[in-house]
Amino acid sequence: MTLAPTRGSKRRAIATPAVARRPLGFFLALPPIILILLFVGFPIVLAFAFSIGLTGGLNHVIASIGLNVHEAENWWGTPAAYIEVLSNSRILRDLSVTVGVTALSTVTVIFLALGIGLFLKLRGGRIARLLSGLAIIPLFIPVVIASWAIVTFYSGDGFVRSVFAQFGVEAPVWAFTMVAVVIGSVWTSLPFAVLMITSGLQAIPNAMIEAARDAGAGFLRIVVSILIPMAFVPILIAVTFTAIGVVGSFTVPYFTGPNAPNMLGVSMSNYFSAFNQPQQSVVMAFIVFVIASGIAAAYVWANFRSAKDQGKV
Amino acid sequence: MTLIEEIHSTTPIHRETDAGGLRGLRVRGLHKVLGGRTIIDNLDLTVRDGELVSLLGPSGCGKTTTLRMIAGFLAPDAGSIQVHDREVSDLGAEKRPSAMVFQNYALWPHMTVQNNVGFPLKLRRLGKKEIEQRVDAVLALVNLLHHKNSRPARISGGEQQRVALARALVQEPELLLLDEPLSNLDAKLRVKVREDIREIQQRLGITTLIVTHDQEEAISMSDRIAVMNAGKIEQFSRPAELYSRPETEFVATFIGSLNRIEGALVNGVIVPGDDVVGIRPEDVVFTLHASFDARPAVVERVVPHGHFHEIYLKRDDATLRAFASGLPPAPGDRGHASIQNALTFRQGRLVTTTRVTA
Repeated sequence: MTLAPTRGSKRRAIATPAVARRPLGFFLALPPIILILLFVGFPIVLAFAFSIGLTGGLNHVIASIGLNVHEAENWWGTPAAYIEVLSNSRILRDLSVTVGVTALSTVTVIFLALGIGLFLKLRGGRIARLLSGLAIIPLFIPVVIASWAIVTFYSGDGFVRSVFAQFGVEAPVWAFTMVAVVIGSVWTSLPFAVLMITSGLQAIPNAMIEAARDAGAGFLRIVVSILIPMAFVPILIAVTFTAIGVVGSFTVPYFTGPNAPNMLGVSMSNYFSAFNQPQQSVVMAFIVFVIASGIAAAYVWANFRSAKDQGKV
Repeated sequence: MTLIEEIHSTTPIHRETDAGGLRGLRVRGLHKVLGGRTIIDNLDLTVRDGELVSLLGPSGCGKTTTLRMIAGFLAPDAGSIQVHDREVSDLGAEKRPSAMVFQNYALWPHMTVQNNVGFPLKLRRLGKKEIEQRVDAVLALVNLLHHKNSRPARISGGEQQRVALARALVQEPELLLLDEPLSNLDAKLRVKVREDIREIQQRLGITTLIVTHDQEEAISMSDRIAVMNAGKIEQFSRPAELYSRPETEFVATFIGSLNRIEGALVNGVIVPGDDVVGIRPEDVVFTLHASFDARPAVVERVVPHGHFHEIYLKRDDATLRAFASGLPPAPGDRGHASIQNALTFRQGRLVTTTRVTA
């Protein structure tokens, strides 16, 4: 475009570039939005309709194949499937196991990641770097393989028991128990948490720590009053992502866990294919979704609060 | 002495105990090698009680390293550090009686101004009421009571600086350490804050050590200045003396401006020689008419500096820089230049100061 001051159309185009580009930007963002709406959003709506007993239209086929389907007699649906699932003691046990494993794994993962991160931040050195590097390894090992490794390691004829047996000690069988599921969940969740938390802690200027030492703070004080609050957002991200990941996990509990009670991900699969009760399976999926949304809401709220505290919002 | 009392005492207190002991700071034989390089080379430094001393030097001269060793963030390889006659070199930073103001202030962003300042007191397990009183007193001292509940991110750089100072002062330290305290402020604010710091320091009579690379800052604030170079103190004296009687060529060139000419000064004329003659630009006088000790000179270049001009004068023996106030001469102007004072250095050390009098 020439710089010559020509009055008219050219000049108008220069004056309002942002406005002119607005529809174009929307248009560019449209394909992914349509894709998500069509292939993710629409099935969710359909599934929700199915879960409240709206079995007509596109849900007709699955409703006629599935067993034990609750059908609504009106257009707004029925909570019958939810009532059935939430009063089924087997599923309730699965639910409590899911919540328990999620809580225990998340606490363990955050504890380990914080330990590694703090060690790296406050002491540094080769061992700290080695630890933080080792913690990333699970990222590069497929979960299926890791799960099988855990099963064979802790099974009745596995490595742990064989070694203990050499000394005449009877070690517990952890394969196909919730212990193995927790170990597997920690294994899969650790890399992200370590990456997140170590980078969060590393981002804190050393002067902040030195200022606290200068003020008379010991190790614990620095960790509790300075480092954790200052790395609060990354820690929170690690907590939510770990918790949401574990809540919805399938591979680890499926391979390493017991038949029952097991986590909802496994139950869902069982109900869907083995028991041919798709509606109950979908209901469980929505229960897990509600739990995950709760965690996500806590994350958004805390993130916003901390941004507000620091004067960013 | 509580802070409240100190605020009301107006005279700086200079105490020096009789029994050879010294209140204040005493550093002896401090030595530090980092990565095979000697950073601090057998350094001695004494700061008297209530005195403000600046460690002044170019980047990489070891001044910050020295301060960090005194604060306890870095362990010296050898040497002793005594604060008020107590050896502190084996103590961690958290146990030392010194308080530090960091270059970037290092205020904790998740705490309010009040909590930042109160944190050191909270660690001493003082009562809530006492903490609040002392925090209020010190915030009043630095004029920040109105920002008590603000977060550091919400206040300006100069205010953050004062919060950092308040956080150090609230500890009633025996030794106050400041690491380049003004380097992040703009020029105007820097002058104001340095006056504030000096005023508060004198009022409270706190022994203070400041690290700076800014000579103007050091000269205007300090009782004494230690000029550092390559891990050593080149000269440790009062600001005026540092300027008028620099002991080494390094100090002479580092402090203020200097015409550095190899040769010797004989009867107001530079003659060839092995020594180095140093002439302050203000000691070069340029006039349009001749006088007995002046030699003909041509104005080569005029550099404006606001309220004065720096002029380059070409004489037959040397090119000299001079300062001129008022209406400056123009390049090409002819006149006469005389040298009023000169310093002569031999192998980097001052040997004579020459005063040419009419």
